[in-house]
Amino acid sequence: MRGYACAVAITKAFPLSSLSRKQPTVLAVCGPEQNGAVGLVCARHLRIFDYEPTIFYPKRSHCTLHQDFTVQCEKMDIPFLSYLPTEVQLINDAYNMVIDAILGPETDIKSVKEPYTGILTTLKQVKIPTASVDMPSGWDVEEARADGLQPDVLISLLAPKKCAATFSGRHFLAGRFLPYDIQRKYELNLPPFPSTECLVQL
Amino acid sequence: MLGLRALLGIGVLVTSRGGGLLAQKGVCPLLGGNSPLSRECPRHQSTMAQAVKFLSQEEAQHIDEELFTEYQYSVDQLMELAGLSCATAVARAYPLDSLLKPRPTVLVVCGPGNNGGDGLVCARHLKLFGYEPTIVYPKRPNKPLFQNLTVQCEKMDIPFLPEMPSEEVVIDEAYNLVIDAIFGFSFQGAVREPFGSIISTLKKATVPIASIDIPSGWDVEKGSPDGLQPDLLISLTAPKKSARHFRGRYHFLGGRFVPPALERKYQLNLPQYPGTDCVLQLS
Repeated sequence: MRGYACAVAITKAFPLSSLSRKQPTVLAVCGPEQNGAVGLVCARHLRIFDYEPTIFYPKRSHCTLHQDFTVQCEKMDIPFLSYLPTEVQLINDAYNMVIDAILGPETDIKSVKEPYTGILTTLKQVKIPTASVDMPSGWDVEEARADGLQPDVLISLLAPKKCAATFSGRHFLAGRFLPYDIQRKYELNLPPFPSTECLVQL
Repeated sequence: MLGLRALLGIGVLVTSRGGGLLAQKGVCPLLGGNSPLSRECPRHQSTMAQAVKFLSQEEAQHIDEELFTEYQYSVDQLMELAGLSCATAVARAYPLDSLLKPRPTVLVVCGPGNNGGDGLVCARHLKLFGYEPTIVYPKRPNKPLFQNLTVQCEKMDIPFLPEMPSEEVVIDEAYNLVIDAIFGFSFQGAVREPFGSIISTLKKATVPIASIDIPSGWDVEKGSPDGLQPDLLISLTAPKKSARHFRGRYHFLGGRFVPPALERKYQLNLPQYPGTDCVLQLS
């Protein structure tokens, strides 16, 4: 459901009709853990919504559920890149936007190594819009970091993380699935979601 | 541009399980070329030329099986999307401000299989949408999937009745509508208790009934002239043959997860869903 809500957020932030390239291409860069898995599911739903996602998923998770997500994407005819070009212009020319599903709150920022450090360096230079899943990759979950990605759109999942307090781009809250007792327990004070929508712009 | 040509020359920029570039049906823009995807998309062709396909029971079972084996979806994933579709269809057909009773109450009757599971997910999403569902779940499979869904509903403060009200007036007075999540497309043969009595009661109720996938008790292909007559039918994945006999006001299609290759294989001719909606009104 998080991946689904993420995809809906992408369509709100970047409607098909607003894309500047002839084809509605999107590059989804997926990390090895939960954040990457959400990226895979998001890509699959974007394909159903008539976008043309391409996935870069350099380090595959060992979790069978995540492996299943990979198969589902392949079976939806979504291409997987075998490497990310370091020549940024190639990315700028080929895609309308990048989805950053690399690192999430579950990652310890100090443990991030290659290939992700290189990937982040490349993505920081792209000129096309970037949307980060749950938190911008390279940030600490509690604190923004200037050396991390600076996305145009942030799609917080379930509840915003502390680091999002200073985020100045378009911020969505996606994922309307938190049970009420958890919301009460953590005093989340989530805004109301309109009608049957699974996301709200903050 | 030298870089791009070098990538094209390599030709193995894209990897896939199928092995190599030629197996890829999708188009990666880094390889150049126009995307054939939009032009070849069967969905665009089908809305103009052909009507949506109504599935036989066997086809429905084969499609389900393929989604789990070849496409490697889990039952949880598809059930969640199906249940969400059902809740969304209910919210479209019976918006909160259209309900007649003081509270937005809904009775969800869940059967012993996957249709019941769809009902549990639907109830949970209805709660999130502001409705007040109550569940009747007399026969619960001893499997983690269903046990988990039950806990999720309990934790959302959704009450479970100890048994189905036997008098239809009780239902008519307490609830705005009933969700029939008893039997689905695998249903065959005789209806066992307590569901026989439950369906009899529902037939006498006057509040609208919304059936998930198949009106319970109907033959999946031939329908049932003296069976349940729901007001809303939410066909999941694709309508089944019995849907041709549906006489209610609202027929929705839900379960927006069919991969294009599967749609082509079974020639489903699914109509285009609007935008990012997970439901489509067929009538």
